[in-house]
Amino acid sequence: MIPSLDLLLALAFGNLGLMLLAGRNPTAGLLSMILYALQGWVLVMLMPALAEGAASGLAFQVFGWSLSWELNGLGWFFAIITVGAAFFSAWFAAGAWGVQGTRSPWAFHVTLAANVAAMLLLLASRDLLTLFIGWELVTWAGYAMMIQSGGPATRAAYKYLIYGVAGGLAVLAAVVLIQVQAGGLGFAAVAAWMPGISTGMLWALMLLLGVGFGIKMAFLPFHRWQAEAYGESPGPAAAFLGAISSRMGLFGLLILLVHFIGLARLDELLLPLIGLDARILWMWLSALTIIIPTFIALKQNDARMLLAWHGIGQGGYMLLGVLVGSELGVAGGLLHVFNYATYQAVLFLVMGAVVYRTGTAHLDRLGGLITRMPLSYVAMLFAIIGLAGLPPMNGFVSKWMVYKALLDEGLPLLFVAAVIGTLGTILSVFKLIHNVFLGQLRVEHEQIREVPFSMWGPMIALSLIVFITGYMPGLALDLVMVAQTSLGFAALDYHLGGFVTDTGNLNMLAVVSVLLLGMGIGAGIFLLGGNKSKRVHQLDNYAGGHFLTTEVRYHYSHHFYAGLLRLIGPWYITLIKRLEGGIAALTDTLAAGSDGLYRTAYTPILMLAATVLGLALVL
Amino acid sequence: MDFDWQHMLIELLVMPTLAFVVGLVMVLMARRLRARIERRVGPPFWQPLWDILKLYSKRTQVSHGHMHEISIIVLLGGMIAMEVFLPVPGFDTFAHHGDALTLIYLMMVPTLGMALGVSACANPNGSIGIARALTAMLAYDVPFIITVAGAAMLYGTTSLPEIIAIQQQQGLEGWGAVQMPLLALAALISMQAMLGKEPFEIYVAPAEIATGPMTEMSGKFLGSMFIMQCFQLYTVSVLYTTLFLGGGENWATFLIKIFVVVAIPMTLTNIFPRYKTEAVVAWLWKWPTAIALVGLFVVMMR
Amino acid sequence: MNQQNFPVQVAPLESCREPGPEERSMLRKVLDRVGQYCQSRSLFVLHYCTGCGAIELPPSMTSRFDLERVGMQPMVTPRQADILLITGYLSVKTLKRVILTYEQMQSPKYVMGFGSCTINGGMYWNSYATVKRLGDYIPVDTYIAGCMPRPEAIQQGFLDLIERIDGGRAVAWKDYYRNYDRYLGHQQHLFGRDWLTPTDVVGEAAHYRLAGDGTLGPHTALLDQYAGYHQAWGVPREQYAELEASS
Repeated sequence: MIPSLDLLLALAFGNLGLMLLAGRNPTAGLLSMILYALQGWVLVMLMPALAEGAASGLAFQVFGWSLSWELNGLGWFFAIITVGAAFFSAWFAAGAWGVQGTRSPWAFHVTLAANVAAMLLLLASRDLLTLFIGWELVTWAGYAMMIQSGGPATRAAYKYLIYGVAGGLAVLAAVVLIQVQAGGLGFAAVAAWMPGISTGMLWALMLLLGVGFGIKMAFLPFHRWQAEAYGESPGPAAAFLGAISSRMGLFGLLILLVHFIGLARLDELLLPLIGLDARILWMWLSALTIIIPTFIALKQNDARMLLAWHGIGQGGYMLLGVLVGSELGVAGGLLHVFNYATYQAVLFLVMGAVVYRTGTAHLDRLGGLITRMPLSYVAMLFAIIGLAGLPPMNGFVSKWMVYKALLDEGLPLLFVAAVIGTLGTILSVFKLIHNVFLGQLRVEHEQIREVPFSMWGPMIALSLIVFITGYMPGLALDLVMVAQTSLGFAALDYHLGGFVTDTGNLNMLAVVSVLLLGMGIGAGIFLLGGNKSKRVHQLDNYAGGHFLTTEVRYHYSHHFYAGLLRLIGPWYITLIKRLEGGIAALTDTLAAGSDGLYRTAYTPILMLAATVLGLALVL
Repeated sequence: MDFDWQHMLIELLVMPTLAFVVGLVMVLMARRLRARIERRVGPPFWQPLWDILKLYSKRTQVSHGHMHEISIIVLLGGMIAMEVFLPVPGFDTFAHHGDALTLIYLMMVPTLGMALGVSACANPNGSIGIARALTAMLAYDVPFIITVAGAAMLYGTTSLPEIIAIQQQQGLEGWGAVQMPLLALAALISMQAMLGKEPFEIYVAPAEIATGPMTEMSGKFLGSMFIMQCFQLYTVSVLYTTLFLGGGENWATFLIKIFVVVAIPMTLTNIFPRYKTEAVVAWLWKWPTAIALVGLFVVMMR
Repeated sequence: MNQQNFPVQVAPLESCREPGPEERSMLRKVLDRVGQYCQSRSLFVLHYCTGCGAIELPPSMTSRFDLERVGMQPMVTPRQADILLITGYLSVKTLKRVILTYEQMQSPKYVMGFGSCTINGGMYWNSYATVKRLGDYIPVDTYIAGCMPRPEAIQQGFLDLIERIDGGRAVAWKDYYRNYDRYLGHQQHLFGRDWLTPTDVVGEAAHYRLAGDGTLGPHTALLDQYAGYHQAWGVPREQYAELEASS
């Protein structure tokens, strides 16, 4: 077999067909795992061919439009993450979870395969029409994946669909606008037309694309749908959706806004009165996307919702890094896509495992599971350190790059905003691991055991990736550079351990090695320095002289960070609720306005006007 | 990059040891200062060391599971790593491999280690203490990060050895405290909170939550936290000296600077009671943050 | 792991005896000596002041006498403390808490009985609710007689204790492990046969090689008997059966 894009798409759609037929079979998970592994292998084999683009032999002519596909470096980078996330999700579902953990393994396997196929199709688009087709397929495949748990998930998925269709229409409007103006939909034609466009056209395109792709990314202020939709999905589905699904919006923005329009053009778009340009506006919106969802996550009582809200916040770092526009910033933003996918997948998988064993993800009803599920605990520990962006995990590297790029470009306030988001993340992920795995073990969880290998395997494997790419960020940067050069930015100067810049270095090899050596010394001091300790029971605990019994709930989980929330709790209502209320009211007014127009005022004339305009545009 | 293994190994062993010794003396100074302000004599010279040795020599050692022990190892390891990355006179090989941002995030590793270990003890007093400690971190890091951003803007680099070199070239005029006094003031206030001293001592609060994180710590576990305190005093003062007081030209001036830096919060702590948690956050987000923002604005205007 | 890790050590504790002073290696001897020295110079005190006498402590701690000069500091939880200072009378109810607190302290640990009440019941000798002799229930290193003793007396007590720790003579805590059965017997006499703390004294004696002839006996046998009863403390038996069936 010669690896080509055709083979990749054939494998993806073959997997979809196979799952449709045999998704109920207990071996379906294993089968799809093999197929995802094969897709990953094809992608790796395609790597040398990316410079000139790996084209597909598949081409259609529909109503005079030609449809064809080609994978470039950027698409390849996202495709690697997509297939990887699908592989680990399928692994998680391949064993016990597929049998007992879900209502319908068939639905899971089919929707996962459909999502992967749709995303690969989107990522390999060669012109705006295939991009739009891929976009719609991704939207609907995501919807199918979200509704599989039923109940509240259906409602959340419906909300997503409304947002998604609106975003799709915005993208469609942008595509039509470009077609009319540029006279072609091929990326070459678009690239040739872009430099000459007027400021007004630029505004229109930016807003349409920003709304269209921003909705998928859950960019502020279009973030309301995502947490519920992802949080209500079953474990591995949430892991896949959380890891990569939203990044399709980032992909669209990167291709059109960054690659074709270019960041320099955004600087020309000055806002009236304020004097800020559109790029700074985007960056501040990204910073708000980091801060507000992160602090909403802090308040969540359901672990999956907490993680889903963080997913929204982390998206802000990616766009923020890319918008800085320096090599370091772009590489940081793209690296964060990869890093984030690894640890977010682990976190959702761990919560899937916890739900599988205990039946709940409510943070007030868990605790002390470390003694029962130590491997899940280790996986979550690695992943939360990554999510919080602390050394030695990979999240630190990409965040460091974004911070450094912001400081180097002279944007200290955005740097402060990004760090505030990180601090909020540290608080909320600590609440997560504390309430689920640490503290007192509840009586009803006494008999719980660790999940089987099919479930801890992918968690541990992914968390090792989190650590290794933190220790040697050069490994992940090799992938990032493929995307970065394809986007038209210069490649970053890096080595296996990090970067050497004029204004400060980072060498993770040294940092992590010293950390590990320090722990070695610490272990020597601690373990050899005193008598060997004796394990005591959790009820042998200080309670001011009280005798603890199993009926005493001796675990602080409810209303964690009470002091902080006494201060900032009211802000959620005043600031965030009003912000959201404003957005809702605006949408309502617009909807009512257009509704009124259609219903009451001269329907035939409007229809006529629309027809004439449409004809004028097309002819 | 060329690796001088011998030199690196020496740094790896000598720097934490030095930090520990200096930290012990700082703890002694803090306790003596407290005693003098309360018109007492205070502890003997070797008291901090005796405390730690006594705790390590306890016959029984209570452990609440593997995480409890691993967390102490992470705590000590993170602290040792942090000392190695600090630029001090004569030892800055490793400081070139990281920068101010790396160091700030490295400083959170021991805190996280401690937090995990305390939570593994299953004691709500400890958990409340950790929740408060993290809340305090969220509060004091906002002004502190602004000062770091201001310093990075002023010096045009985040590399700590270079920041020291820039300051030392210009003499006293070039010191961060002279160039950006407002940021230096804000950093001093957040340092008080970083060290967990009154009025920001919300997470130890012995009368309220039974010393919070230390509730279930005994024997060598508590001893390791005493060691952590030594390292913490040293680290914070060295970081402040590096950013604002021109670093150390030699060990004599360096030691004077870091001891002065530690003495300020250690003196102030004795004249304050304790804020409530929300009051700490509100206060730190109001005054030091406002001062730091004005300072950052001044730096950016130049 | 059981729900309640209560003492179920039934094997003979012969191998858990402390090696004699002569059997120690040279290094061990040096380390022990350094440990003793530091233990005598750094003492964290836990005050148990439900009776009376707390008012005598502030002068000892603060500028009048300043106990920090000899390395003494107040501490908050039993885990951190070396000295348990019990001031005044103990009722049956508070004695339970004292015993739990004592068992949660880390050895070497020292108990100071403060005031006449801890020695012979003092002015509460006739009371139906108070304990006459503290030393029956936990081993006491030093008593400070008086009603009330003055701060000077407290300091003299502390200095005595320091001297004895430095000389390796303050070993009452070992007696609790070696003769646990006797102490437990007194406790059971007072609190009933089902008396149980969540601490595992017998297990500790085995782990740290502190066991003696009197560690196990008829009273510790009762612990095993009632451990099962306390295992389901607060949890209905049926619920356990359900849990086991469902797993």
